[in-house]
Amino acid sequence: MANYLIRRILKALLTIFVSATIVFFIIRLMPADPVTLLVDPKMGPEVQQAMMQQFGLDKSIGLQYVIFIQQTLSGNLGISFKTREPVTTVIMQKLPWTLLLLFIVVTLTLVIGIPIGMLAAKKRDGLFDKFINVLIVMGISIFIPFLSFAFLYFFAYYLKLLPTGGAYTPPPAKGFDYILDVARHAILPSLTLFIGNVATIILYTRNSMIDVLKEDYIRTAFSKGWNEKYVVRRHALKNALIPTITVAGIMIGSMVGGAVMTETVYGWPGVGRLIYDSVSSMDFPVLQGAFITLAVSVVVMNIIADLVVAWLDPRIKLGG
Amino acid sequence: MPKLLEFRNFSMGFKDDDGTVHNLLNNVTFDIEEGRAVGIVGESGCGKSVTNLSVMRLLPRSAVIQGGKIIYRGQNLLKKTDKEMEDIRGKDVAMIFQEPMTSLNPVLNIGFQIGEVLKKHRPDMNEEQIKNAVTNQLELVGIPSPEKRLKQYPHQFSGGMRQRVMIAMATICQPDLLIADEPTTALDVTIQAQVLDIMNRLKDKGSLMLVTHNLGVVAEICNDVVVMYAGTVVEKGSMDEIFDNPCHPYTKGLMAAIPTLSSGKEELYSIPGTVPLSNKFSAGCRFADRCSQYFDLCQDKVPPTRQLSASHYVQCWLDFERRE
Repeated sequence: MANYLIRRILKALLTIFVSATIVFFIIRLMPADPVTLLVDPKMGPEVQQAMMQQFGLDKSIGLQYVIFIQQTLSGNLGISFKTREPVTTVIMQKLPWTLLLLFIVVTLTLVIGIPIGMLAAKKRDGLFDKFINVLIVMGISIFIPFLSFAFLYFFAYYLKLLPTGGAYTPPPAKGFDYILDVARHAILPSLTLFIGNVATIILYTRNSMIDVLKEDYIRTAFSKGWNEKYVVRRHALKNALIPTITVAGIMIGSMVGGAVMTETVYGWPGVGRLIYDSVSSMDFPVLQGAFITLAVSVVVMNIIADLVVAWLDPRIKLGG
Repeated sequence: MPKLLEFRNFSMGFKDDDGTVHNLLNNVTFDIEEGRAVGIVGESGCGKSVTNLSVMRLLPRSAVIQGGKIIYRGQNLLKKTDKEMEDIRGKDVAMIFQEPMTSLNPVLNIGFQIGEVLKKHRPDMNEEQIKNAVTNQLELVGIPSPEKRLKQYPHQFSGGMRQRVMIAMATICQPDLLIADEPTTALDVTIQAQVLDIMNRLKDKGSLMLVTHNLGVVAEICNDVVVMYAGTVVEKGSMDEIFDNPCHPYTKGLMAAIPTLSSGKEELYSIPGTVPLSNKFSAGCRFADRCSQYFDLCQDKVPPTRQLSASHYVQCWLDFERRE
């Protein structure tokens, strides 16, 4: 177990290192030059030089990369070009909002998606299953900004039931009113993200449940005299959930990086929105920071998902 | 002797994707008497396994029952509700499956999987009693240090050991009828012998319906034999009758295909051709196009079932001598 964890963590560190490297170079491959954005031509050459030095832009790309890796390892993600705040501070301000959205969406997705997937599998090819299949295709293929605009138009503009954007009505209210206000603002972005994600979860749960129900050991369980409800719960569920958990792990991990499109359309002040803003303003350090956060969370969630799967399936030997 | 299980003109088929039903089992009729072991033999694809699963009512969804009765202790199993079937499965009729590698749930331990049978059918037993019963049962089927094995998972068992676990599972409620669907096919020869030995010991407690294509296994264990071909019972009788006086050309072919010590190095007899698919059955005798004694009538009309002795029946157009 300890051995497995150590190897898994080493692999994770390598993955994060590689993604950090890719992020660094990809951003610098963008056709725009941050220097021209950063430096005001009206500034004196000494000031310009000082600024370039402050952000390390006067050095060669290779040297910048070495400094970047060094700094990242020591937990310093640099300073935002735009706000001149440390990147970690900027991300930490946005992360709670994204985590809030993530928590709502993941809870809803798993609590609703898994039972629906199981039920569709149990009644496969029935009317309910066919209906769910149509919904899955729609949920997976729908274009998120379109869905967001449709929701905004209908709920916010037409029915005037829900706010059009943001996470709260400024100035923030106090106490319970504030929570209620945030909840109202969270409904539409959560719903939008829920629709895309729940379709994936239902799809995986349903398909793996159908496969598991065809297994010989399911027939064995029936041959002992147990009814369908028991057989599904005791014999099929654990096996069927294994792919779902892996997918959910990746889903949660990638959602820490924020849902760029959803957060942008709804003006939700999370990491996704931050990524969008940083791209528009060429704020390289923030963009790097956000992507590294994303990479770390995906890798960590993957490890957690693997551990859960290993706990469910005794055939996976952690020691070996 | 009282009859435990009676197949009466049982017919069933499978629905294809277009909804057309292709008949597989056609008028299957045979009995299993109390305390006797019946071997059901035939090539792969003859409907042996489907016959088994019909008794348990565990047929796949695409199966359609077309007629007849399966009578267990005087009651038609096909008329039972799902709830009533659940009480019969595992307790009165239990089954050992062909594939020990896939028939056990990989994520549940052995103790749980065997104990489950008692949990369902013996509500009077508590956890401790169930655990003891399972340990005893594992010991009975020859699993060393059963106490330790209870908490282990199927992947920690070899094929032979898993089949023993399956046998322990099927026999723990001492069923009146034990159905074994090719229980030794997936095992190597030495393990086969051990497993057969266990089954031989356990069969004394009730009736056994043994499906196999291995006539050697039948000779070792069974009292009666039912020979099936393409979903029909072509010949049935006591073990001696079938082995000493096989009448149906198919049975004769099967017997001729058994290697003996004296058969030397010449090529072993084999019946030409293969079992047809259920959508290609001929209107008459289903064995007609592989039969060496085939004549015109065979292709057009289903042959009559003729009684050769009190227990020996054959379904064929050929003339046989009636023996008493």
